[in-house]
Amino acid sequence: MTDLVAERQSPQGRRRRPSGEPPPLPHELNRAAIAWLVAFVGFAVIWAWIVFSDAPAIWITERDLGIAGPIVDNRKDWLTPTMQRINRLGTSWVTPIIGWCIIIGGLAARRIRHVLLLIAALTVVAALSTVVSMEMSRPRPLGVTQIGHWEGFAQPSQPVALMTTALVAGGLTLTPLGRWRRIWALAAAAMVVVFGLAQVYVGVDHPSDVLSAATSGVAITLLLYRVAAPERIFPIAYGTGKTAHLDVTGARGEAITLGLREQLGIVATDIRPVGLEGSAGSTPLRISQRDGPDIFAKLYARNHLRSDRSYKLGRTLLYGRLEDEQHFTSVRRLVQHEDYMLHVMCRAGIGCTEPLGLIEITPEREYLLVTEFLTGAKEISEMEVTVELIDAGLAEVARLWEVGLAHRDIKPANVMVQNGKPRLIDVAFAQVRPSPWRQAVDLANMMLVLALGSSPELVYERALLQFSEDEIAEAFAASRGVTLPSQLRAQVRRDGRALLDQFRSLAPDRKPVAIQRWSLRRVGLTAWVALIVASLLSIFLDNLSDIGLL
Amino acid sequence: MTTNRVLLIPLIVVVGLIGVACSIEQALPPPLCVGGGSELIVAQSVPTAKLVPCLEPLPNGWEVDSVRVDQNGSVVRLDSDRAGTDAARLVFDRHCDITDAVLVPSDQSGVPAYEAIGRIQPGFLGERIYIFDGGCVRWEFDFDPDVSATLAIDLQARLTLVPRSEINRSIRETFIDEEL
Repeated sequence: MTDLVAERQSPQGRRRRPSGEPPPLPHELNRAAIAWLVAFVGFAVIWAWIVFSDAPAIWITERDLGIAGPIVDNRKDWLTPTMQRINRLGTSWVTPIIGWCIIIGGLAARRIRHVLLLIAALTVVAALSTVVSMEMSRPRPLGVTQIGHWEGFAQPSQPVALMTTALVAGGLTLTPLGRWRRIWALAAAAMVVVFGLAQVYVGVDHPSDVLSAATSGVAITLLLYRVAAPERIFPIAYGTGKTAHLDVTGARGEAITLGLREQLGIVATDIRPVGLEGSAGSTPLRISQRDGPDIFAKLYARNHLRSDRSYKLGRTLLYGRLEDEQHFTSVRRLVQHEDYMLHVMCRAGIGCTEPLGLIEITPEREYLLVTEFLTGAKEISEMEVTVELIDAGLAEVARLWEVGLAHRDIKPANVMVQNGKPRLIDVAFAQVRPSPWRQAVDLANMMLVLALGSSPELVYERALLQFSEDEIAEAFAASRGVTLPSQLRAQVRRDGRALLDQFRSLAPDRKPVAIQRWSLRRVGLTAWVALIVASLLSIFLDNLSDIGLL
Repeated sequence: MTTNRVLLIPLIVVVGLIGVACSIEQALPPPLCVGGGSELIVAQSVPTAKLVPCLEPLPNGWEVDSVRVDQNGSVVRLDSDRAGTDAARLVFDRHCDITDAVLVPSDQSGVPAYEAIGRIQPGFLGERIYIFDGGCVRWEFDFDPDVSATLAIDLQARLTLVPRSEINRSIRETFIDEEL
């Protein structure tokens, strides 16, 4: 790779970026998923053909009966009861039990996306098999005595399709990639094969009914999960912290190293996650480089974009007009915004981390924001909060006000102290030309952060040197539980000194700023969200039986 | 996100899911005498029966609500714009109870018919049962109040009992050399 870099440098040593090379981590659909999709498309073509012509149906039925006939003709007394029991369980209890276990397990592991995908996969597979079976109108095997449970048309076998879907979704929802996933896949395959054999043995399904159903179940489920919950963005792992954090080992780790070298000319020697507990919106990394001090980076992917979207929708519903803002439409824009805000803040003289550049890992999907690493810095909650630090912290807010900015996420984890000076990090939520309310909340949150390590009286006294009584009163009139970042809210609650009330009693009386403001858009949005949730819930509950969960 | 997208995306999702849900709930077609429908699996649902029921086009005001066909038999539920929802059911079964029924003239050639009337008013409640070799077909009526029982006569006339041998012959001629 070094040679490649060298080759692409101009004689003057200048290097054009981007180089035109493929992205460090190209987006790929798993090979197994593609194979299953191809098989599924094959069945879809056959189904379409059968709608227009009897010839393939006759040919397939003859082959089916050629396989099923000897099995049925050689039923054994000792085996028949077992096969009938498998058929009965498979067409009644197994799929609901598997489905609900996955739903409960997935919810317990907070994998709501995977649980929703399971429901979506079951719904799509059930709908597809219903529609196809209506079009095929295929009877149960002819010339064969049915001795098991069945319902409706034969092709594709709906119980097999739903069981396969539930089992595949279970593996993708609950088991980590690797050994456990392989064990799950083998066990699931064994279950489907045994159930499929039982269906043929008791004479209720043709072999092709079972095969097409299993293929549909696997292909559709894999496709949904690969598209909506790709493994490298939503890995299944246990005991590794927040699910928002991405695995930076393996292919992604190599891609980050390559991207740093190709796009920023930085030769990384070590990449490791850092401060994960304080970050839910990205994956923070500390990167050691060969020719310089450590650097800091934040890895953003599409799951972070979706989190940002949900967060902003939630805030719009909670606060209405004052928080009426646009969410980011791509990961690129999200990262560009944070990079821009870092530049704006640093240029304005606010204590920040110096931005070093952006790296494209996978176009439109994954980006890395690179900044300086605050060597020796500590979170403010780990330090003694002196008068000097209080003044410096308040000065940061005063400067934000002065230059027309709001940080909007001031909490202990985002106020680092380096050489006695506060540095505001994580500016993803920062805004240029914010509403006065947002700036007021910034002041209140900074005073709360400072008071956690000192006293509200001292912080209030020092704040009066930089802000008027009215401004401080406005800050606490605008603040309440929901305006505090969750980490700050938790620490204030744990502190037990009722800091908000104490600040309010110190400041002049001021009518609380109404943050629950209703606008036509907010009413419509709230009604719309309620309608969507109610509709989805109703559709889900109405179809529990049809999608195999009842 | 623009307001349009806020409205559009969930709308597409909801409409799509409702479509999918409707697809899932789509009932099986009834057994049709003109061919197609669920005639073959209805025949398979009572493999011992020598006759298999099928329906001619329904009288005005009647429509199929749902069809259930499984290893225990078949049930076609019918709604009427006058007699009400689920006002009639056509049941194809191995056995029918005729303890409280009386023999009546049959409209199906060579097949004895029985009737059991629960009530005439305020709404007709009754059964008409056809017994044949290996199975039976039963009409169950439960009409809304003040609806004439003559509606049942119109509906009954749309039932035909087809010999299984005739269906098997059709399979051999048009499909493969096998039978139900």
